[in-house]
Amino acid sequence: MAQKRKRPKSLYRRMKENKKVQAVATVLLPVLLGIVILSLWQTQVLHHWFKTDTFTLPLLDRIGVIISENTGKIWENVVATMTVAIIGLVAGSLLGYGVAVLAALFPRAGKGGLSVIGAFASIPVVALAPVMNNWTKDVSNDASTRSMVAKILVVMLIAAADMGLNAYRGLTELKPYAKDLMATYAAKKRTTFVKLQLPNSVPYIFVALKVSVPASIMTAIVSEYFAEYITGVGRQIRENIVLSQYSTAWAYIATACLLGIISYVVLMIVQSILLRRYH
Amino acid sequence: MKKRMTKMVSAMLIAAMTATMVVGCGSSDKKEEGGSSSGSTTQAAADTSSVMSHEEIIKKAAADGKVGNWGLGNEYEVLALLAKYGLPTEYLSEDFTMDGFDDDSITLASAMTYNELGLTKNDYEGGYGYGDTVGYIDMNDEGVAMLEDNIFCSKTFAKENPETVKAFLYASLKGWEYAVENPDEAAQICFEAGSSVSQDHQSYMAGEVAKLVSTDMNGNAVTDDIGKINTDAMQQTLDIAKQYVTLDDSAAQEAFSKLTLDDICDSSFYDEAKASDGKFNVEKSEVSIQLKWLPQAQFMGYFVADAKGYYDEVGLKVNIVSGGGDISETTAVNNGTVDFGVTWPTNMAVADAGGMDLVEIAQIYQRSGLTLVYKYDNFKAE
Repeated sequence: MAQKRKRPKSLYRRMKENKKVQAVATVLLPVLLGIVILSLWQTQVLHHWFKTDTFTLPLLDRIGVIISENTGKIWENVVATMTVAIIGLVAGSLLGYGVAVLAALFPRAGKGGLSVIGAFASIPVVALAPVMNNWTKDVSNDASTRSMVAKILVVMLIAAADMGLNAYRGLTELKPYAKDLMATYAAKKRTTFVKLQLPNSVPYIFVALKVSVPASIMTAIVSEYFAEYITGVGRQIRENIVLSQYSTAWAYIATACLLGIISYVVLMIVQSILLRRYH
Repeated sequence: MKKRMTKMVSAMLIAAMTATMVVGCGSSDKKEEGGSSSGSTTQAAADTSSVMSHEEIIKKAAADGKVGNWGLGNEYEVLALLAKYGLPTEYLSEDFTMDGFDDDSITLASAMTYNELGLTKNDYEGGYGYGDTVGYIDMNDEGVAMLEDNIFCSKTFAKENPETVKAFLYASLKGWEYAVENPDEAAQICFEAGSSVSQDHQSYMAGEVAKLVSTDMNGNAVTDDIGKINTDAMQQTLDIAKQYVTLDDSAAQEAFSKLTLDDICDSSFYDEAKASDGKFNVEKSEVSIQLKWLPQAQFMGYFVADAKGYYDEVGLKVNIVSGGGDISETTAVNNGTVDFGVTWPTNMAVADAGGMDLVEIAQIYQRSGLTLVYKYDNFKAE
């Protein structure tokens, strides 16, 4: 026993406890897993496991070639999708936060609003998108505009629910006695709100965004399926699969994945900058 | 007390929201009724002499950006038509209803003669009842017609099961011949087989489909050789397809531009089935066919062959698989989920260019069923 205690820590344990190694590992391990999966894909081991062929699951180099040949067209579709996702996300988050503020200040009326938003967001996108198309028929004579409005509305509802529910928690779930402390300072309701509740909700905003950023892109892509005006990454995936152009469809699927990953990374960077003072 | 109040308020809000949703969904139905009543009143007054010519209509609708099609491989005839008049080849995405046409967001809407055109004109259940207040542009008349519903299978399947393919064709063609002779009975059979549409619409559809099966693109009757692959019509289809199909995959586009009729059609099974005495030594007795759409009279030949026992006679048990929406019939046949499929030759050729190994063995529809429908009111000559 005594001998064991004296023995220096194993390399594994030392690495496990080293903060720097941990930081590297959190990035390195997922990347390694990605590389393993991609190499299994390219060497057709995946095809063997899933009993599929290179036609339905094209090889990576083939997908890469198609992406590089069509950068212009893909970019057009990316712009169309991201415009919808970003405008919808911003508008929806503002709406959701507004409702959460109302709910925190006037619980009686505001909580009902939160429930409504929550209920709206639980409607599947596939049901919401066609309904929105019908509702926005009179918005504009230009099909591309009204179709974009319809898609933005769907994204907005999804993002609003996320933000509303999380921000409400941030505005109301305060540190114990924090509110009582403000009361002993004889702080006005407004001061309590600005000095205590608002700052407290900031981390919750990022909790909401972590879900709603990828969700907005996903929602934008799905609502493109039903849109009147034919554009966007999602629509291209659908058109190409129906026409049995799987390689091209995969090129757009890869694009969609990249969009999701890149926007998540951007969000993480923004969060680490903005929340630095919280840690 | 407060809590209960909150709960009450939120419950009411949710109820109100649900109600608006339902009203929103239902609004199109209301419009339909409105359309039908206004349709019947103006029906008598419909005066086609003051309506623009087809060329003017196409140009006006294109200038307004209000030409509609479903896309997804159904759009090439419309693109060819627009190009024929020197117009930009752009169109709006039509959903699988005629609501966009009804509310004028699409003024020149794609409609199959046997389906959407009937729904637009007639006032039975699900119809919009426009009657004689609408006109249509026929792709066959415009010279941009492409062939539609065919029968295809994979080349490997055809090679390994030649007798089965012949037997299936023999019985299916018999079904189609009977259906064309007796569309009303065929409609009834389809309706009983689990139809997706009303009985009235089913019999309308059977009548229109019979015309497509028994008339060629030039309007000549096709009587003895229903299902035969007409090389001229097929060549026209392929030529138009090569002009208007654009694939992002350059290798597939290259392969597509090199396709010839021999690559995508094989008439030998048809010829041998026609010449046979109806006795086959089938290699596979249980086969399936993937439809391009929901079960309806569009596919009446197969339902008739099944109901009349034609498939039994040749020793086959046929499973008719419903399609619809985004079902890709080419993929289903190519990966062996089903043995036969119904699709449009262009879609099959595109799939072949993408790497599939499919071949057309019979061409059921001899002319294009695609039309562009418009309201006379929207295209009054000045």
